Amino acid sequence: MASVARPVPAKDVEIRQRPNIASADVQLPAVRDYEQVDREITGTLSPTGAWYLGLAVAVFFLLTGIAAWLYQIQQGLGVAGYNPPVMWGVYIITFVFWVGIGHAGTLISAILYLFRAGFRTTIYRCAEAMTVFAVMTAGLFPILHLGRPWKFFWLVPYPNWRWIWPQFKSPLVWDVFAILTYLTVSTTFLYVGLVPDIAVLRDRETNPIRKRIYALLSLGWRNTDREWRHFARMYLFLAAFSTPLVLSVHSVVSFDFAMSLVPGWHTTIFPPYFVAGAIFSGIGMVFTIIIPLRKWFRLEHYVTLNHLDAAAKLALFTSLVVGSAYMTEWFMAWYSALQVEQDFFWNRIFGQWWWASAILYFCNMIAPLTLFSQRMRRNVTWLFILSILINIGMWFERFVIVVPSLSHEFNPWQWTSYAPSWVDYAILAGSFGWFSMWFLLFIKQFPVIAIAEVKEIVAPRLRTEHEHGIDVAGLHVDYERETPGEKE
Amino acid sequence: MISRRTWIVAGGFFALGTLAVILSAYSGASSSQRFSPVQPVRFPHPVHVQTLGMNCLYCHSAASQSPDPGLPAVGTCMGCHTIIGPDRPAMEGREAFRSAEIEKLQKYASGNLPIPWVRIHKLPEYVRFPHMRHVTAGVSCQTCHGDVQNMQQVYQANSLNMGWCVSCHVGQSNPPFRARYDCANCHY
Amino acid sequence: MTRSIPGVPPAGETAQRRALPVLPSASGDPGALDRRDFVKTLGVAAAGTALLGCSQEQVEKLIPYLASPDGMVPGVSTYYATTCRECAASCGVIAETRDGRAIKLEGNPDHPLNRGALCARGQAALQGLYNPDRYRGPMIRRGDRLEPISWDEALRAFAERVAETRRGGQAGGAVFLNQHESGAFPAFLDDWLAGLGMPPHLSYDGQADFASIAANRQSFQVSWPRYDFRAARLVISFGADFLDAWGPSVTYQLDWADARTDFARAPKLVYVGPRRSLTGLNADEWIDCRPGSELAIARMLMGDFTPAQAAVVSGVDAARLERLRAALEAASPSLVLGGGSMDVALMANAINNARGNVGATVLTAEPVTAYDGMNSPADVRTAVDRMRAGSVSLLMVRNVNPVHTLGRSGAVAEAMGRVPFKVSFSSIMDETSELCDLILPDDHSLEQWGVAQPLRGTLSLQQPVMNRVFDTRPTADVLMAVGRTDSALASRYAAPSFREWLLPRLPGGANGIAAALPNGLIAGNVEPRGATRLAPLPRLAPPIEGTQGDLYLVLYNHPLLGVGRGANKPWLQELPDPVTKILWQTVAELHPDTARRLGVKNGQMVRVQTEAGSVNLPVCTYPGMHRETVAIAVGRGLVRSGRYASAGVNALELLLPFEDRSGAPAYVATKAQVAAAPGYQQLVTTEGSARQHGRGIGRAMLLADIGRDVEHHDGPVHHKLPGDGDHSHLPGLRAPIAADAQGDLVHPEDIERGMYDPKHWSGMAKRRWAMTVDLARCTGCSACVTACYAENNIPTVGAVWQGAKLFPDKTGFGANILRSREMAWIRLERYFEGGEDGGPDFDTRFVPMMCQHCGNAPCEPVCPVYATYHAPDGLNIQVYNRCVGTRYCSNNCPYKVRYFNWFGYGEPARAQYAFPEPLNWQLNPDVTVRAKGVMEKCTFCVQRIREAENRAQAEGREIIPDEFTVACAQACPSRAITFGDAADDRWAINRLVHDERAYHVFEELNTYTAVVYLRKVLHQEPSHSPQRRLVPGSAADTGGGAH
Repeated sequence: MASVARPVPAKDVEIRQRPNIASADVQLPAVRDYEQVDREITGTLSPTGAWYLGLAVAVFFLLTGIAAWLYQIQQGLGVAGYNPPVMWGVYIITFVFWVGIGHAGTLISAILYLFRAGFRTTIYRCAEAMTVFAVMTAGLFPILHLGRPWKFFWLVPYPNWRWIWPQFKSPLVWDVFAILTYLTVSTTFLYVGLVPDIAVLRDRETNPIRKRIYALLSLGWRNTDREWRHFARMYLFLAAFSTPLVLSVHSVVSFDFAMSLVPGWHTTIFPPYFVAGAIFSGIGMVFTIIIPLRKWFRLEHYVTLNHLDAAAKLALFTSLVVGSAYMTEWFMAWYSALQVEQDFFWNRIFGQWWWASAILYFCNMIAPLTLFSQRMRRNVTWLFILSILINIGMWFERFVIVVPSLSHEFNPWQWTSYAPSWVDYAILAGSFGWFSMWFLLFIKQFPVIAIAEVKEIVAPRLRTEHEHGIDVAGLHVDYERETPGEKE
Repeated sequence: MISRRTWIVAGGFFALGTLAVILSAYSGASSSQRFSPVQPVRFPHPVHVQTLGMNCLYCHSAASQSPDPGLPAVGTCMGCHTIIGPDRPAMEGREAFRSAEIEKLQKYASGNLPIPWVRIHKLPEYVRFPHMRHVTAGVSCQTCHGDVQNMQQVYQANSLNMGWCVSCHVGQSNPPFRARYDCANCHY
Repeated sequence: MTRSIPGVPPAGETAQRRALPVLPSASGDPGALDRRDFVKTLGVAAAGTALLGCSQEQVEKLIPYLASPDGMVPGVSTYYATTCRECAASCGVIAETRDGRAIKLEGNPDHPLNRGALCARGQAALQGLYNPDRYRGPMIRRGDRLEPISWDEALRAFAERVAETRRGGQAGGAVFLNQHESGAFPAFLDDWLAGLGMPPHLSYDGQADFASIAANRQSFQVSWPRYDFRAARLVISFGADFLDAWGPSVTYQLDWADARTDFARAPKLVYVGPRRSLTGLNADEWIDCRPGSELAIARMLMGDFTPAQAAVVSGVDAARLERLRAALEAASPSLVLGGGSMDVALMANAINNARGNVGATVLTAEPVTAYDGMNSPADVRTAVDRMRAGSVSLLMVRNVNPVHTLGRSGAVAEAMGRVPFKVSFSSIMDETSELCDLILPDDHSLEQWGVAQPLRGTLSLQQPVMNRVFDTRPTADVLMAVGRTDSALASRYAAPSFREWLLPRLPGGANGIAAALPNGLIAGNVEPRGATRLAPLPRLAPPIEGTQGDLYLVLYNHPLLGVGRGANKPWLQELPDPVTKILWQTVAELHPDTARRLGVKNGQMVRVQTEAGSVNLPVCTYPGMHRETVAIAVGRGLVRSGRYASAGVNALELLLPFEDRSGAPAYVATKAQVAAAPGYQQLVTTEGSARQHGRGIGRAMLLADIGRDVEHHDGPVHHKLPGDGDHSHLPGLRAPIAADAQGDLVHPEDIERGMYDPKHWSGMAKRRWAMTVDLARCTGCSACVTACYAENNIPTVGAVWQGAKLFPDKTGFGANILRSREMAWIRLERYFEGGEDGGPDFDTRFVPMMCQHCGNAPCEPVCPVYATYHAPDGLNIQVYNRCVGTRYCSNNCPYKVRYFNWFGYGEPARAQYAFPEPLNWQLNPDVTVRAKGVMEKCTFCVQRIREAENRAQAEGREIIPDEFTVACAQACPSRAITFGDAADDRWAINRLVHDERAYHVFEELNTYTAVVYLRKVLHQEPSHSPQRRLVPGSAADTGGGAH
């Protein structure tokens, strides 16, 4: 009998978005039914040997970092590479770096949710988990870089027998509030989004103990309409609530610098500049994480090229914003006609620190320009390499902000240099260990792709099977595990 | 399924924990108030101050002219106790007895040894407490040291922590004193 | 503390200083020991766990006195006047003692030499007294090691040896080498030696410029005339570094500063020499002649040579020399000083004679007698030759170290090997005493009685200021004890101790002394020691031109360490050399062009070789060098003089066994092979960039402009902003906070005044402490820095063991300094102006930089815990115990004057501890010892302010204007620093803040600093190449760039 089914295109089943815009709804043609979604996504939860290996490595780095920190506490900050007047170094740099990473998550999950950007659906869970763990990592550093870390709680305003309060004029105190708020909200947001998925896990779980724990976490989710209604409202509310935080938190972090009168810090462009940079670095980190994940867990038909393509555009955009911020800085240095400012920028770009600036400008301004080409945007390998470059570049952005400014200030007699010591590096490595450890643990307990939201964009299944695999839409789908056109 | 009760209990524990932390911070738990060690010689302040009516400055003479109150030299004690020996005659309805403490004192003196008093009132090294300023301003010794004249064994009467000092400097004490209260007044 | 601005005797000071109470002798007297314990618990408790709060738990003992020493109140300082013996000049010092320990030395305001000032070396005497490497007690050599013995045994051993020597009839062969000192002891010593039939002792001082002394003796029959800089109109110095180490330099510093700031008739200073020393840097003109050619130029001034001829020899442009001669002709009276070489000094004296300066600027009638009786180093050398010949039976040395100071070519060690018995009276270990057989350690000069004769007709008394630190005895007492064992001499030494022997012999007798002790001075003279033997013929060096080598080698005594006497004192090691700013390190100084020619940069190694030996040193480029010269400082790299002394390299390895005509070792005698060597040693320096880059930190104006209201264009322009306070020079007073407190803002009621209101009941804002620094007076000598270290318990951090423990920076001494972690609260910034082309005509600006106590301080609002804030009386306060160590304050400080405790420098248990017992005895109990992890900075000596307030309140009065001053101002030999209350016109400072030369550093940042600088005054513009952007590393930036 004549089939109404269209012939299956031999190549590239996945129809490229036309018009090719990020917000357009992204289809998952290779995903057929809910059953498949549950099976494949929860399938990622079973630990593999590679996973154990990764966890071991992460924990090893973490322990190294902890050892270094203990040594630093015992001996004093002198064991780090500080070289006055460069009084801030790797720790503050890494602090800002991780806070920045933390931003993409909320942007993707909250802001893009409000904008109804379809491509976020499959990547936001990853991004959000990344946010929480990045902020957890960042939060360590302000304590870690203190001369007397055991007194860190003096930054918290609490009634005490000394009759004294913190200095509320100090940006460092604002930091405490900003970071804590952000950590709380993003954690809540992540958890709320998880609830329906945890319910799924609960239902599929066989191990009684795990089942009990999932049950506890799922808050007794029963998949009723009422629950869904509340859930949707709650989720929308939280999205709206955390959206301004994305802007405020990193603005506050930027005040740590902008509020001072150090040349190179004392500038009003910092808040937008930092926020853009943060999002840029965050997207970079999302790529770094999601690309291996989709490979290892064979989720290419969930996180499709279209998703990556769209996200890459976001990266390109923020890169352009950051780039223009850099150029604005140069312009202002020249335009201000302040000799101190000009000397400093000269030294930063062509003098003592040219190499750091070079790395920064290449990674953050030059390399991302390749994303103008769609072929590059859809070239997964390049995206991964680029994401690494972006991470490096953004770390060096903070380096270039912190170190050259302090080493070349107003008083020429105190112009110095700076070189981190092994303790700095060990603690830096430790922070990556800490982050990866949490993330690895996360992906084995909870789905890295939001089951519930994926189901929203998968056509519901018919009550009865059709013999020819023809669904209501009349669209014949040859089910393939991996998306064609991506063999490379 | 978790009952609503579970949540309340959990939340309650968290709240209590927080409260405990804040209170302990507020209460100045780190002070050594009521510290009352046994001294090598059980020097009875009541007898000297109340019975004999001696002035604090007789022994702690430096208190009015130096930041350090100083302690009486063994020689100062012996100034009286060479005459007033360990054998105490019966007086005021109390029968004669032999004072072991005066014996100890004389043993120290004859052996040319100083008395290793145990320190009770100790401010951290980063706090400057010029005794003479307080004494000359008319702050009585008891204001800080408590009623030493009644203490058979001296103990630390007040917490001596910062809030306690400041309360007096800003005039919240009774009788009210007022003094400059910026940090560098005591911390340098 | 001695709160004196000289001339203004502070209230009740003389009452405070009192004669020494009778102290029990240290040996076996419980009283003394108890006092020590007592101090341990009370006085220096601060040295222990500094800030880590929980020190209340540990049980502490309070040890009272047995019998309280009369007139000593625990916790209140007692002051003793005594005499400084750190160099021959013997200035007067006031020792502040607290609970029986000396904690600070300050100049004696009544003393004619130093008039209240004291140089860094003098202040560091305390670290000699408390030096951890001092001999703990007498020792004797058993086998190859020295073992402690009791004093009785030691004395017996010494007496036997002396007797033996005499029995053997070899008494004539005995040699006694004594550290030169003026006063009664030398005569006493000669007398003792004569009694035993031994030849008179050799009085030796490696630091003093014996060439000048010999010349003066020949020209004027006095060792050292007085020089009157005020009278001179022109001063020409031929290598005489009179502001740093030449003669009684503290005296000259004040004279010079006074002369220079008397603008109507300020003398011009021309410095002639191959290397621009500190005096050279203060000179208006530097004539960079070839080493050894100073004589030619001097003779040119005498008329023996034409400028053209002199130009040929000296390599200086003839026109310059002509100008110099013309200037000399024009100026009358003038003053010509010669140092380093006897011929030059003689010629200088001759010029003074010819120009009629003698009697006008060279006062031979009232000479400095401190150098009388000093022997020529050649005498010591001949004694060494006799040792080598084996004709010396007994060698006695006291506080001199010829093994080191005569260099390797002196071969003193080998010579000593031929001496059967060697006795050392040195109080601290050194290369020489370590070779001796018997050590009878002398008391430190602060522990013993004596008298010095600085000037004719003036005696400076020396008295113990505290109990002995170790089991030592005054050499004089030892000699007397030995004398008593001899029947012939017993009668002569009936007196129980040198004190009893000495006092009756002084004018006024014992009673007169008791009256004089509070001021430490009496009029009169002691009998000088008999005529010193004439120096033998010196071993003259062949003409320097004839020697082999690429560059002339110029050795010079380190101005702070001397030939090595100061090498084991961490204060002096950590004090940057005033000229090169190098510390803890020995460098080869080269002119930048020379370095370029050799293809080496700062820190790269060069090998310097003479016939005597060779050393490898890192290069330090310094524009104040003659292009054909390499200069190396002597005084570091001592191998057996203690734990700190081994820093650096011993430059005396290069010394040839030649002598100046005076007999002094010839420091400029040869050329040296200088070639790049493999390796690199980062320069241990505090210098970042040596150029100001137009930041207007150290400003100057022309002498001609004084009194004329001129526009200054030497700093960043300050644009007045709306709402700005008035920028007239009232330090800090116009800060938003301060001005508000003073009630002179436009709308005072707009702002909450609180405790900043002068009418506030607490009266906290009544005063406004401020400081002025007169750059026209400052010579850059850095005495203020050491004073600050002593007063504020600042740790030295440069020692090898003070860095990280695990994987430390492998840089040897100065590891922390290389990461610019030095802690000096006040530092001397040294900027070069002009001479970008490498020419000799550059000007130097010395800028003492300390916390500016901004009225509108950038550091204050950024501290999250209020650890730093603005006190109502104008101080910018750092509360150590509140600091958590975010270090944001330092980031935000434009002056970069905040210092962080990277390690536990104040914690005895740690390797990084900066005050190893007994150095910690010196710690000032009024100042907290900072713990690790906290920020610290200049406090304007808040403890002195509080002490003055306490004293005033106790005496029921107001603080008297200029009643006290801060440590740096007190020590400053040129009186460049003035401290006071800017809100009270009666204080001296108020005259200065309104001076036409006054300015604030970085005024354009609206910091409203409480420190006002007064412009330096130039006699002529420095040669400026057209203004250009100087980026680090460019040729014009001579900065070590070590950081």
